[in-house]
Amino acid sequence: MISLPRLTRRAFLKTGLVAGAAAGTGALLGRLSRPEEKTEPVFIAKAASYEPALLRRAIASGFSALGIDASFVRGKTVLLKPNLVEPHRGQAHINTHPFVVRAAAEAFLALGAAAVGVAEGSGHRRDTVFVLEESGLLEVLAEDRIPFVDLNEETPARVENLGKVSRLKNLFLPEAVLRADILVSLAKMKTHHWAGVTLSMKNLFGVMPGTIYGWPKNVLHWAGIEECVYDIAATVRPQLAIVDGVVGMEGDGPIMGRPLAAGVLVMGRNLPAVDATCARVMGIDPWKIGYLRRAAGRLGTIGEQNIEQRGEAIASVRRDFLLLDHIPAQRNLRLA
Amino acid sequence: MNEPLIEDAKRELAARRKENGGFAQVAPGPARPDATAWAVLALRRGGPAPADLDAACRFLAGFQLPDGRVVFARDAAPAWWPTPLAALAWGALPGFRKEKELATGFLLQTSGRHFKKEKGSPTGHDTTIRGWSWVEETHSWVEPTALAILALRAAGKGGHPRVAEAAAMLMDRRLPGGGWNYGNTTVFGQKLFPMPDATGLALAALAGMADRPSVGKSLEWAEMRAREIDAPFSLCWLSFGLSAWGVAVPDLGGRILRCLSLQERRGAYGTTLLALLLLAHEGGGDLHSLLGVR
Repeated sequence: MISLPRLTRRAFLKTGLVAGAAAGTGALLGRLSRPEEKTEPVFIAKAASYEPALLRRAIASGFSALGIDASFVRGKTVLLKPNLVEPHRGQAHINTHPFVVRAAAEAFLALGAAAVGVAEGSGHRRDTVFVLEESGLLEVLAEDRIPFVDLNEETPARVENLGKVSRLKNLFLPEAVLRADILVSLAKMKTHHWAGVTLSMKNLFGVMPGTIYGWPKNVLHWAGIEECVYDIAATVRPQLAIVDGVVGMEGDGPIMGRPLAAGVLVMGRNLPAVDATCARVMGIDPWKIGYLRRAAGRLGTIGEQNIEQRGEAIASVRRDFLLLDHIPAQRNLRLA
Repeated sequence: MNEPLIEDAKRELAARRKENGGFAQVAPGPARPDATAWAVLALRRGGPAPADLDAACRFLAGFQLPDGRVVFARDAAPAWWPTPLAALAWGALPGFRKEKELATGFLLQTSGRHFKKEKGSPTGHDTTIRGWSWVEETHSWVEPTALAILALRAAGKGGHPRVAEAAAMLMDRRLPGGGWNYGNTTVFGQKLFPMPDATGLALAALAGMADRPSVGKSLEWAEMRAREIDAPFSLCWLSFGLSAWGVAVPDLGGRILRCLSLQERRGAYGTTLLALLLLAHEGGGDLHSLLGVR
């Protein structure tokens, strides 16, 4: 609907990869294949409700704890990518809550971001206006004058698949994603019936345009969900993840599960570390999630010893999310 | 019928035309085959000069591969979902019979990926019944199947066994409580939620091919949702689906105008949405007549 400013260095770098440009490629690939695991900080905030002031404080504390300050944000274009896979009225636990989106936008603007936009390519729904209305996000965006980018409708650009795990040689990514200086995976904390859990990495399925991948994004299913989660995360490389676990979803997620008030926001700059922490909060062993295990040592870290927990301790917020035995992807995931 | 909002929408749609003859989905973007096809259908009576619509149809032909498929982008050959839209657009103008025949021939030769379910499969629907997919080598889903049925029926090929099989596929994908979503019914034993747009698409495609009692619950659900929805894609497809079964959406004309006026709050609609609103307004929801669906 409303577009963000065009062409940044990040876009140049990424589109350059398509043409095989040498500049920048080596550095990116080097990061992908690093053998050692760096320690990564992850921040957990308690948030008992979606009360706006509470969310603002939680995100501000997280930014402070993670070193996200004006020097990192000022003048940058920020794109927030919530999970709006399939909004239904009265089913708020399916999607990232609009007030979390608002609080994140405000936090970036307060630090001097040049522009903050919200973007999603809904996985199951063709009608983006309906998605925005039904999720309650349109009201927030309209009130705050935050632009929204429909990633299903953005012009896609072909880039090399830097993950190289699935059979997909290239990925098509929306221009808005490539243009953004700071991409934030603003995910929901949910169990998932194909992938075990859906958190900040799986949320990135929503950047893949339906015009290329379909509704649902069935190309990615046939190419392997876990493999594609890894490939997309390796290629897109968001700079921050914020996971809405204030009310998450347990059981038959990502749509039909039931709400569980975990009362947390989990934040960090390394997506595997954030997702591993979320999994532990959910009482799930991250090493038993295929795409997280694959990401360990390549895209970041998931080992508890390598994650510096800031804010609340996992033990103080752990809520064991219901796992269903009749769903193979959820069997034997429970953290000891 | 000189309603200012409708005239504005027509002008806006015409302004999305690019030098290459195609129409962009959004004002500053490049021309796209899906947006172009919808623009042709919406503007073919009144709007740009006939030569401009011819140019739009020639633009579409530039996205047709030798096997007849029409692709979303030239470097994305598997994304064949614009094929039925192009066939409908070509069918609306004289001079594109060859392209239309190639496209409908492709549809009749093609389906999504189909397979026999393994024992204990979590999905509820019959995975062997062929419809059409969005993208090559993927499963059949509701919207591309419904659009292909409409395009083939408009092209006079409604009697082909593939159309009958696709209608059976749509019937199989009905949700237990009525309505359709993108194309799953139950997964791991859970009944999934219906969606207005998919329900309208399926109803529009099935009218004349299924008996009324078999879609009764879906019609009831669609009628209920049509009273309250003002998102253009969903409202238009609900109106097309209901109208095809002889059910009118109350105050459709007024609702369409309201949808158009809501762009002030929502931002400018894409070409597909503007075209759908114009078609719904022109035909009072009767898409079958507008497209010549038989």
